Amino acid sequence: MIKTTRRQTLGLMGAGALAASPLSFGASTARAATKITVLNWQGYGTDEKWALEKFKAKTGIEVVHDYFSSEPEMLTKLRTNPGAYDVVLINSARTQQAANEGLIVPVDFAGVPNSANLSPELKDHANLKFGGKTFGVAWVWGITSLAIREGDKKPESYAALADPAFKGKVALFDDAVTGVAIGALLSGQDMNNPSDLKAVGDKLKGFKDNVKLLWSSEDQWNKSFAAKEFDLSVYWSGAAVRSKRNSKLPVEFVVPKEGGIGWLDNLCVPASAPNAKAALDFINYMIDPDFYFEWATKVGAPASASAAAMEKLPADDLNRVIHKQAYLKTMTIQSALPDDRREAFNNLWQEVKASYAG
Amino acid sequence: MIALGKFYLLAILVFLYLPIIVMMAMGFNDSSLYELPFHFTTKWYVALADNSQLISSGINSVVIALITAVVATVAGTMAAVALGRRVIRGKSLLQLLLLPPIAIPWLITGTAMLVFFFWTGIGRGMHALILGHVALAIPYVVLVVGTGLQTIRADLEEAAMSLGSTPVHAFFSVTLPLLAPSILGAALFAFAVSLDQFVISYFLSTPGFTTLPVQIYSAIRKGFTPEINAISTILLLGSMAVIVVFAVFARPGGNRDKR
Amino acid sequence: MPADIPVASTGTPSGVPARRGIPGSVATIALLLPSYAWLLLAVFLPLCTMFVFSFMNATPMGKTPIVFTLKHYQAFYTQPYLVKIAWDSLLMGFWATLSCAILGFFAALALARATTGRVRETLLILILLPFWTNGLVRVFSWTMVLREGGFLDMLLHSVLPDAGSIGFLYTRPAIVLGLVHGYLPYMILTCYIALVTIDDSILEAAESLGARWWTILGKILVPLALPGLTTGAVLTFVPVIGAFMEPRILGGRVGVTMGTVIEDQFTQAFNWPLGAALSFTMLAVVLAIFATFSGVLRRNSGAAA
Repeated sequence: MIKTTRRQTLGLMGAGALAASPLSFGASTARAATKITVLNWQGYGTDEKWALEKFKAKTGIEVVHDYFSSEPEMLTKLRTNPGAYDVVLINSARTQQAANEGLIVPVDFAGVPNSANLSPELKDHANLKFGGKTFGVAWVWGITSLAIREGDKKPESYAALADPAFKGKVALFDDAVTGVAIGALLSGQDMNNPSDLKAVGDKLKGFKDNVKLLWSSEDQWNKSFAAKEFDLSVYWSGAAVRSKRNSKLPVEFVVPKEGGIGWLDNLCVPASAPNAKAALDFINYMIDPDFYFEWATKVGAPASASAAAMEKLPADDLNRVIHKQAYLKTMTIQSALPDDRREAFNNLWQEVKASYAG
Repeated sequence: MIALGKFYLLAILVFLYLPIIVMMAMGFNDSSLYELPFHFTTKWYVALADNSQLISSGINSVVIALITAVVATVAGTMAAVALGRRVIRGKSLLQLLLLPPIAIPWLITGTAMLVFFFWTGIGRGMHALILGHVALAIPYVVLVVGTGLQTIRADLEEAAMSLGSTPVHAFFSVTLPLLAPSILGAALFAFAVSLDQFVISYFLSTPGFTTLPVQIYSAIRKGFTPEINAISTILLLGSMAVIVVFAVFARPGGNRDKR
Repeated sequence: MPADIPVASTGTPSGVPARRGIPGSVATIALLLPSYAWLLLAVFLPLCTMFVFSFMNATPMGKTPIVFTLKHYQAFYTQPYLVKIAWDSLLMGFWATLSCAILGFFAALALARATTGRVRETLLILILLPFWTNGLVRVFSWTMVLREGGFLDMLLHSVLPDAGSIGFLYTRPAIVLGLVHGYLPYMILTCYIALVTIDDSILEAAESLGARWWTILGKILVPLALPGLTTGAVLTFVPVIGAFMEPRILGGRVGVTMGTVIEDQFTQAFNWPLGAALSFTMLAVVLAIFATFSGVLRRNSGAAA
């Protein structure tokens, strides 16, 4: 699954740009040794203008961008444009698929000195491994868990979503993979591969009397929360930071005992990268604590995979408070989903939603 | 009975304009999260003045809607006349074919257009937007004008022709004036269908050429602010002004389409 | 001046004379061509592509090998909860259309009978204008009216300060209300077009013969408005079945309709084939409903004549 900023992207943007994006990065440029192309979500860290200027001043490497707006689209672009990209952002749930298709190469960590600061739980996460090698540099992460109105009793378990105390006061994230993950965690199953989907469905259907609405964008969440339409919600950690910091909403982010639903984004080097060396330089810069500090404090960023970068933030920085390093040990990170399982998740979620409506 | 009718119309107008008034009011409300109670501000209008992207997309929307209204109204009226006045084999089929563009959710039609236009090299951009919008508007025009045509007696035209008028002349001098309100209504619909069209515009617009609905829906990502209300208000009041001017100056006859 | 050419292909059984000058069939084709060629290129061919997709096992993007299958058309069988969603959507369409028809018919009648000239034109424009604002903004405004503590409650509390909340956001009536608001202008316009041509003398004759108002309504006005009501019903019912924005925003947890299920397939699940198959199935259902309806209509009017 995707993460905060771009989760809000209407999914259909993906479908849209997918088929029709002009392939603007063909063989058009006779590449000077100092130009690399990054494939990422728009407005997601790598394309901050000030950062690119600094990076160029430091290394002489110029960075240009191409964007995707859904993960299937990202893979399609990699497949159909060999030689076009030097760095690509891949969610760890897709890394193995990309590695398996031979789209990306194992990371030579010798070229990424800042990787020494990466939290080991993330740097060596199983999602990034394929055939014993690591195919991506852990970059940023976040958690999907619960948010509650300040002053209310903090939930200890996702079971609070079914607690009659919250009757008509719950909002769920309208997303199949997240929904199934919560049902799986609540029924004590592996959220990435629940063996008993019926139990998952039963748990989710148990929220019925509490569910007021299903939200699909951060904006919608903020407005409904501000209008006091719900008190307890499934929410994103990064969005909770923004709601509290930018919109001044009285919200508290809570990770209950079952653990959060984690996601991890990593930066990878395509197998066809024309300039792999410069690509690693750029990735190194992206996990540099100095870059992260500016990104997180000036612009707003998810949690960095670099422990040193997180420590650079003030101790009371919301981003640091919400993304506790301790969570790295308890949260489960979303992993690859085979097509048939993804379809089963989607169908189950439709069934659950139908039961809410019925 | 007349008074009752007028009162009823007033009630309908209140219903239709209730959310519009709320929309306008919230454009002057301070909270970016649309929170109540109401605190007056004009800051969203000030912010809008700097938002050249929102403004230019608004202009694009109006231009495309105008083109769509003209093209779809002309083509659709022609088809409606053929369907309503001529004996055509397979007429029911032709009429049935008007339904899929309305019935299939625009999301699917839009995706389909995107894929098809990509394959055939039509591509994206303003031309593709117009192609799509006109196609969506045509069925509305045909249906609305067709309804009008059903209520106009064909024998008037025949009478004119029996008096020596050519069919074309008979159509333009007899049927068309009677049909004018329907055609005008159809054009207004076509304009509205285009102006509010998001899904297809989303798929077919390019980063350099977007329309207002696309901007509005994209704004959901960052959170849409009362600036959206502000530009919607301006657009609506602008259209009202245009129509008022049109009504006052362009139609001295006033009662022409009254029988 | 060429002589009259009787058009072979059209036997003119309904008394429509062939036009002089150009062979009728050529003229007919010339009249139809722009619209249908345009629709062919921009709608039908793309939809055919989508129709082919609906038989594929996966969205034809990426590396998944494509196998042709009927499984998406069995979805209503393999996922029985879809039947209930479809039924609810049809009911929603029915209530929205019925409400529009009643409100719209009388509004059109009032326009045609109680107003004239400039006033009438102005009112007609005023009725159509809300259409020119963005649908999302309109629906979003409704949430602010309907929610607890929203404008509706404020209005109520200014009269009855102690009353409870009458906000009904996130219910089915809220969805229907939003849909009626969005589609009512269609119905008013189509009914108006049908009613505006009524001859005063017919009504006067009926009145002088002692007909009561409901007789006039049932025997004269409604039958005369029938073409408009039918077109309005098509323009309301058909798109409402596939609507997803109003259910999502106004319906909260009850806002699950065929429209939202289909939208999810395209936006979330990336399962275009299933979305397309569901959509074509619903299209078939809608067409079947209209076929039945128009059959009944024709039989009744035939019997009456």
